[in-house]
Amino acid sequence: MNLRSAVARLLALFRKGNLDRELEDEVRAHLELAERDAIARGLTPEEARQAARRSFGGIEQMKEDHRDHRSVRWMENLLRDFRYGMASLARDPGFATVTIGLLALGIGANTAMFSIVDAVLLKPLPFPEPERMVRVWEAPPHSLPNNTTTLTFLDWKRQDTIFEALSVERPTRAAVGTGGDPERLSGKLVSADYFKVFGVKPRIGRTFAPGEDQPGAAPVVVLSYSFWQTRFGGDPDVLKRDLALDGEPHRIIGVLPAGSFDRDEAGFWKPLIFTPDQLNRIQHVLAVVGRLRSGVSLEQARAKMSMLRASLAGVMPSWKKDWGFAVEPFAQRLVGDTLRRSIYLAFGAVLMVLLIACANVANLVLAKGATRRKEMALRAALGASRGRLIGQLLTESLVLCLLGGAAGVAVAYLLLHAAAPLVAASLPFTADLSLDLRVLGFAAAAAMAVLILAGLFPSWRTSFSKLSSSLNQAARGSSGSSAAVRRTIVIGEVAASVVLICGAALLFKSLAKLQQVDAGVRIDHVITMSADLPSTAYPAPESAARFYEAVVQRLRAVPGVEQASVSQTLPLQGVGWGEGMSLPGVTKGFNVGLKLVDPWYFGTLQIPLESGRGIEDRDRAGAPPVVVINQELARHLSSTLGIANPVGRTVGIDVPGYGPIPESVVNVQIVGVIRSERTGALHAPQGRAAYMPLTQVPQQDIKLVVRTESEPLAVMSGIREAVRQVDPHLPLGDVRTMEQVKERSMLWAKQPTWVVGAFAGVAALLAALGLYGVLAHAVTQQRREIGIRMALGARPGDVLSYVLRSAFSMLIVGLAVGLAGAFALTRVLKSLLFKVSALDPVALSVACGLMTLVGILAAWVPASRAARVDPMTVLRDEG
Amino acid sequence: MSENKTEVPYGTLDLLILKTLETIGPMHGYRIARRIEQVAENLLRLNQGSIYPALIRLEQQGWIRTQWGISETKRKVKFYSLTKAGSKQLSVEVANWERATALVARFLEAES
Repeated sequence: MNLRSAVARLLALFRKGNLDRELEDEVRAHLELAERDAIARGLTPEEARQAARRSFGGIEQMKEDHRDHRSVRWMENLLRDFRYGMASLARDPGFATVTIGLLALGIGANTAMFSIVDAVLLKPLPFPEPERMVRVWEAPPHSLPNNTTTLTFLDWKRQDTIFEALSVERPTRAAVGTGGDPERLSGKLVSADYFKVFGVKPRIGRTFAPGEDQPGAAPVVVLSYSFWQTRFGGDPDVLKRDLALDGEPHRIIGVLPAGSFDRDEAGFWKPLIFTPDQLNRIQHVLAVVGRLRSGVSLEQARAKMSMLRASLAGVMPSWKKDWGFAVEPFAQRLVGDTLRRSIYLAFGAVLMVLLIACANVANLVLAKGATRRKEMALRAALGASRGRLIGQLLTESLVLCLLGGAAGVAVAYLLLHAAAPLVAASLPFTADLSLDLRVLGFAAAAAMAVLILAGLFPSWRTSFSKLSSSLNQAARGSSGSSAAVRRTIVIGEVAASVVLICGAALLFKSLAKLQQVDAGVRIDHVITMSADLPSTAYPAPESAARFYEAVVQRLRAVPGVEQASVSQTLPLQGVGWGEGMSLPGVTKGFNVGLKLVDPWYFGTLQIPLESGRGIEDRDRAGAPPVVVINQELARHLSSTLGIANPVGRTVGIDVPGYGPIPESVVNVQIVGVIRSERTGALHAPQGRAAYMPLTQVPQQDIKLVVRTESEPLAVMSGIREAVRQVDPHLPLGDVRTMEQVKERSMLWAKQPTWVVGAFAGVAALLAALGLYGVLAHAVTQQRREIGIRMALGARPGDVLSYVLRSAFSMLIVGLAVGLAGAFALTRVLKSLLFKVSALDPVALSVACGLMTLVGILAAWVPASRAARVDPMTVLRDEG
Repeated sequence: MSENKTEVPYGTLDLLILKTLETIGPMHGYRIARRIEQVAENLLRLNQGSIYPALIRLEQQGWIRTQWGISETKRKVKFYSLTKAGSKQLSVEVANWERATALVARFLEAES
């Protein structure tokens, strides 16, 4: 067959109706002409018509021949089966709705989940040549990599044989007033090379020019696309305008393209300029991103950086003599272990749901097939080949899968739109959740997999029917082998659901344990917010200290406020990397979490004092520096250093600077011990913490903590007004109740728990549906048998328990198999579980109980229907 | 029907149709069938209908083309005519046929 006729044949498929009609016309004309000639030869009209027909030959046979010649036979069959499949679905809308709904659910949830897996774990980063993008760190031995210092960064920057571009990256906040109240917004301080690292070209304007990160350069800023849209309404003349950051005008030089940078928390980028007094090798505050020169491998870069480190040995502080330099791929730290595990877990769970949905569909198709055995046997008797019958049944399944897949894509779209805002904060900024071609390809693959799982086997079974037995068999007693297969499928469904429910039960128990952890602070009726004192308005530590005092006084005067305080950090949010603490005469120091709080912090959060005193109003700048420690630190001092009563002791502690003032070591006196609050996450062991007066170590980045008499959010307007009275230009950010702060600290555990929980719920529902379907079918098939039993004296209760027993036997086997699966699989949850064993007996029993309950409920409907069978009616109907 | 009529030899119907169209020019299906019967002078048993599957195949190969016209009974019918590719194909088929018959003839002579 050459190309031309192949094309013609394919086209003929779609012009079938036309071609048939044309042929019909030709045949009619032919016969007329033949008759006319025959009449001309002297035959009567009747004889002429017969003669014309005779010499034409078999018309129908010719037509078949014509179709064979002009077209592709198997495709024509396929199309016919396709139409037939559609028609048979339309005849049974209940079956069609249920199966397509099941498939849409299964395929849709999987497609949505895959789009997350793809965006977070599979797709390359959305930047040119992402393999050349790196992060560069200082690397202490046996520890997490560390930020670097200004001078060391400048040493790296000179390595232009390794890096094409190298930039620092430091989060910042600024009060932004583009009309209306000022707001605190996130941005980043970066080097001029920053956007060269990402290979991003601006949408309008330009990005930073070399030299714009040097002292004396005019202040400039680059905006993200969404910042431009929301703050400037997409104004095309934005480049002629200034953006005031903390009151200081910055010329807007460019806007980034829409995409990844809109998902970053930062909305603006401005150059980080090192002033001469910042140039040191002490303050480790710079995170560094870079782009390798093309052709430089990661190994070469690492080797050259270690050589550099060796050559710098003379200038590095002696305590850092064991530190190296680390170069790692940019993508490496983008996705944390917990997120990766959560995503795999959720994907595994949703695959399980798809399998169960498949099993349900297979079951439905089988049940439908059982009622069609006669039709199949008849078609076989009329000469249809076995392959042709399987082909027809498979095509019908194909129709189901295509419709289910299409509906699944719609479901995935809806799911993604609903879920994206909820999960976006947990995903890296590079993750673009969208239904692109890769995701649609996955949906198609899933639909095909369903076709094979849910279509092939039932087609094979349904077509495999003996003519004699099927045609003779009256449609009453259930055909044994098919019923056994369907029961096995239901057992599989129950087992898979049990695995999921066990997982969900463990996760929920772990979440409950987490929630029960005592945070050590008052959680209810407390509201928190953050503020950032700009250097322009608060250049000196004294001005900041004045602000703390003034703001607390104003806040306390607000009606509805019980107590207010200022602190550097909130409970549960961590205390940073920790600071060094040392005792005089003891050479080896240790790390403590340092919290800077005002005199009212302990009172506001109701943290009780164990001994000594708390921080008081007299502990001001100029007064002798003091520190209050928590129980953990007191325990550490007594166990490792033998200090039974720490109050009154003097310790040395690294305290952070203020603005350009560098950090320093201060000798402070321990004045009290408080009962521990949770400084960090609830699941982590409580760390050692030390509290110093905020007025003695002022900070620009602060939190306000306010305890209220009633619903805290109702007092918010009064709180805002009080802050405005102290500083009308200071915006408040992150307004959250302490309850919300606690919830957020558990997000890592909550998200996978609810996702797995939702999937487990769906799985249980589907398994129940499968169980219901099989039992309902069996009851319908066995009406006669039940009728006879009842006629012979069985009571409705006996029938009820008979059906329930049959359900129970399936459930028990399913539970056993499922538990075995759970034993094998819950191990993967270990890292996500808090104080719950992966084989926790309570959680597993609850899971089994739930599944049994759902199963019994599903069985109840067909069982009670069986019990209501009226023997007289049944026996008369089918007798 | 006389017994000494033969079926159309396998694969030769295409050749007969192409040759007919070359000799007479454009005509409709009935005329083609009649013309083949006339030339064969009742030596051939032809189901007239069997030319239609052959015609669609030849059309799909691009060897003949169709045009709508009006039959002697005032009905819309397709008129078939030879394309350039068709006449080329005809000469190929004629050559093939001649080679085949020559070959068979030689065998028959050798047998005798």
